[in-house]
Amino acid sequence: MLDTQVKNQFINILGKDRYLDRIEEVACYAYDAFVVEAAPDAVLFPETTTEVSELLKIASTYKIPVTCRGAGTSLCGASVPIRQGIVLCFSKMDTILEINTRDRYIIVQPGVVNADVQKALLPFRFFYPPDPGSMNTSTIGGNIAMNAGGPRCLKYGVTVDYVLGMEVVLASGDIVRFGSRNVKDVTGYRLSSLFCGSEGTMGIVTEAILKVVPLPEAIRTLMVTFDNLDNTAKSVTDIIGAGIIPVAMELMDKMTLNAIEDAANLGLDRNAEGSLIIEIDGVKEACEKEMNKVIERVRQNGAIHIQEAASDSEREKLWTARRSAYGVFAKLAPDIVTEDVTVPVSKVPLMIRQIMEIGDKYGLKVGVLAHAGDGNMHPMIPANKEDKVEWEKVKSAFSDIFQAAAKLGGTLSGEHGIGLAKAEFLPLVMNQDTMNFMKKIKQAIDPDLILNPGKFV
Amino acid sequence: MTPKPLQNCGKCGLCLNVCPVYKILKQEQASPRGKLQMIKAYDNNSLVSSPLLKEIVSKCLMCGSCAASCPSGINHYSKFMEMRKKMAQDQPEAPAIKALIYLLAREYRIKYGAGLARTGLKFMPDSLAKTIKLGNIPLKNFPRLNSIPFRNANDEIILPRKRQVGTVIYFTGCATNYLYDDTGFAFIGILKHMGYKIIIPKGQTCCSIPLLFHGASDTAFKNIITNINTLKSHAADAVVVDCSTCGEALKNEYPRMIEEKGQDPSLANKISSKVVDSLSFIDQNFDLLEFDPDITDKLSVTYHAPCHTKNSFGSNTLAEKLLSKLPFVNYKQASDVNECCGGGGTFFYEYPEVSKKMIDKKIKNAKAVKASLWITDCPVCRMNLSGNLDPDDGLQVLHPLTLIHSALKKP
Repeated sequence: MLDTQVKNQFINILGKDRYLDRIEEVACYAYDAFVVEAAPDAVLFPETTTEVSELLKIASTYKIPVTCRGAGTSLCGASVPIRQGIVLCFSKMDTILEINTRDRYIIVQPGVVNADVQKALLPFRFFYPPDPGSMNTSTIGGNIAMNAGGPRCLKYGVTVDYVLGMEVVLASGDIVRFGSRNVKDVTGYRLSSLFCGSEGTMGIVTEAILKVVPLPEAIRTLMVTFDNLDNTAKSVTDIIGAGIIPVAMELMDKMTLNAIEDAANLGLDRNAEGSLIIEIDGVKEACEKEMNKVIERVRQNGAIHIQEAASDSEREKLWTARRSAYGVFAKLAPDIVTEDVTVPVSKVPLMIRQIMEIGDKYGLKVGVLAHAGDGNMHPMIPANKEDKVEWEKVKSAFSDIFQAAAKLGGTLSGEHGIGLAKAEFLPLVMNQDTMNFMKKIKQAIDPDLILNPGKFV
Repeated sequence: MTPKPLQNCGKCGLCLNVCPVYKILKQEQASPRGKLQMIKAYDNNSLVSSPLLKEIVSKCLMCGSCAASCPSGINHYSKFMEMRKKMAQDQPEAPAIKALIYLLAREYRIKYGAGLARTGLKFMPDSLAKTIKLGNIPLKNFPRLNSIPFRNANDEIILPRKRQVGTVIYFTGCATNYLYDDTGFAFIGILKHMGYKIIIPKGQTCCSIPLLFHGASDTAFKNIITNINTLKSHAADAVVVDCSTCGEALKNEYPRMIEEKGQDPSLANKISSKVVDSLSFIDQNFDLLEFDPDITDKLSVTYHAPCHTKNSFGSNTLAEKLLSKLPFVNYKQASDVNECCGGGGTFFYEYPEVSKKMIDKKIKNAKAVKASLWITDCPVCRMNLSGNLDPDDGLQVLHPLTLIHSALKKP
C-alpha cells in the first residue's frame, strides 16, 4: 500500500477517478499475456505529458517503482509490476494528434491502438507497417517500448524503423524530445532508437512521430506446400536470393498444419512437411513479374502444391488459417506458452528440427510457426500450468530451445522482448561487459532504478 | 476417462478491443479478461465478495463478443452468468431488478403487471411521464404495452395462405408478446405468405435469459423446463424466433444448463438443432416471397446489428445482404453498424453513464447516412435506439420483419 500522503499527492494531480487502488481493481493490473503475476499498489491513468512529468517527480522523490502499461498484451511480462509500486496505464492517453501523409508522418499519443492508426490512415491510402499479432488491441506506446514486429516486417522493417521522433518523460520528471518530423535527420544521437525497445526501463514515451507509407497498388498471396522441410526453407532463401523481398513469408510445420486442419477443416495438405504463405505487394506489373519468379523458385524446390488466392476472400482464407494457428494450439490444453527465438534464415530448418527433438525429449507437443523470411520462430507448447511436473518440462524445453538458438548464432527474441521471460538467458547471447554497459546506461538515465524494476536490466 | 481440464484465459488481450464496455471505460477491470481474473480470484478465495466486485461483474452487456473472439475458446457468457448467480446470493439486487425477476418468473405475473402498467400509464399525467427517466430513456419514449398480449390475440395454430410448404413453431419471446406485437403480426403475415403452418404454443414462457443475467438461475431453470416440455409436444420443421437473445437461450444455454444439472440433454439438443433466427429463416426461404409490384419508391434504410444476432447466429451480415436485396430498399451502411448500442438487457438502466456514450455515438453515425428507417432485430436494442432518439432526428426504428411484411404482395 502506498503511504496516504503519497496517495493524496497523486490524487491531487489526477483526481479520484483516475487513481485506482482497491483490491478488486489492482488485481486486474497484475498480469499481461505472460504467465507471471504481481499486483501493483495503485494504477494511475495520466492524460497529458505534464501529468506524467508531475507523477514521475513524486515517484522519484519517494523512490516508488513505476511500470508502464498500454493494453497489457506483452508476451514476456514487460508490463507486470513485479516490484509493485504504481502502474501508469496509458489507455486514456489515446489521441491521434496529427496526420500528414504529404510529409509521410503521423503523431500519436502512446495509448493509441495500432489498429486505430491503420484505420485513420486508410482514407489517405497510407499505412503504418509494424503489424504485431496483437495489433487490434496493443498500443503504440507498448509497440515502441517492445520494438514490436509482425509478419510484414520482412519487407518493411520493425517499429524502430518507423519512429522518427518522440517526446519522453524521464524518471526525474524532465521532458525531453528527440528526432523530428523529417524522414532524414542525423542531428545528435539517434536516441529514439535507444528508447525504442528499452521495455519501459529508460523513460516514458508520451508522444511519437511515426513514419507512414503509401498502400501498395496490388497484393498477391500464395500458399505453397512441400514434402520436405529443407526445401521449404531453401525456397525462402532462394526467393530472397532472386532479388525479391516479399511482404511476408510465413512457415507452418506439419504439426501446425494438422492441428489447424483438425480444428477448422480448411482443406490444408495434411502430408506436407512444411508450408509457406508468401505475399508480395507493389505496382501491379511488378507483382506479376515477381510472382512468376516466386513460383519458379518454389517449383525448383519441389513444391507439391501451389495455390494462389484469386480474390480478397481467398486471400483472407489463407491468412485465417495462419492466424488461427495460435488459437488452435491454445485450445489443446488449459494454457499455452509461445516464444520468439530467431536464427539466421539459413538455419531455420535445423532450428525447427531441434525444436521437434526437444519436444520429443520432454514428451511435449510442439508446433512451430515462423516468420521464415527473417528467421523469427514461434514454437508453441500447449500445457497445463496446474500440472507442476508438466510445467517444469515446459520450462526446461524452452531453456533448451534458447540454448539451441544461441548455438546456431541466433538470438533470444525477435519481437516479443526479454522482460521477465528471458532475463535469465541473456548471458547466452551477451557477454558480461555488454550487460554491464547496458546497466551503466540505465543508471545514468534512471539513477534510482524506479522505471520497470526487476526486469532484464 | 479424465474430463478435459477447463481452458484458462491466456490473457492475450484480444477481447479488449471487442468489448463495448472496455472501449468506453478503458480500464482493465471493465474488460472480459479482467472479469475472468476476478472470478478466478473469487473462486480460489483470494478475493471476497463485495459490492464493488458485484458492480464490476455486472458492468457487462452480456453481448458475447468476447467469447466469439477468444482464441482459447473460453465461454465467458456462461462463466459470467455463473458469477452473477454467486454475486446475487452474496449481495442484494436493486429493488427494480428484484421486481423484474419476480415478474419474469411466472407468466401470469407479467400479464398482471402489464395490465397494471397500462392503467398506470393512462393515469399518469403527461408532464410527469415526460420528466421521469429510466436510465437515459424518458418514460414517454418507452413503447406502449400491447393492448392484448400477442399470444392471446392469436390462435395456437395458424394455417398458411396458400399451399402448405412446412410447419414452424413460433417462440414469441416476452418482447413481442407484451411490447412489440407489430413484429409478431408481421412474422405471422410473412410465414402465412410463404406457405407455412404456424404453431404458437400457449404454454411457452420467458426464455429465462434475463433471469440468468441477474443470477436467478433456479427460477430460470423452471422456465427452461416449462419451455422444453411445451416445445417438444409439437412436430415442426423449425423453431423460429424474432429475438436473437431468446434464440441464443434455446440454441445454446438450454442444452448447457440441462447438462450442468446432470439431466439428459437430448430433448434440449433436439430443439436446439431446429432453432432459426428470423433473418436466417427469411434468407433460406427468400424465393417464397413475392413483393408488391406497385411499390416503386425506395426507402432509405440503415441497420443496427444486435450483439446476440452477431455473436450467436452470425446473421448480422445476412441482415445487411437481405436489406440490400429488397427491391424497395436503398440500404445505407452506418460506419459502426456492428457496434453495441449499450442496451444490453437492463444495462441501460443500471449503468446509464456508460450506456449513454455508446448510444450517442450510434445515433450520430446512423444520422450521418441520412436514412429514414433504422432496422434492428432485437427488442432491447429497439427500445434503446428509439428511446434515445429525438423526433427531429428523423429516424424510425423497426424490426426487419415489419419492414419486409409491409412490402409483400397483397393477397
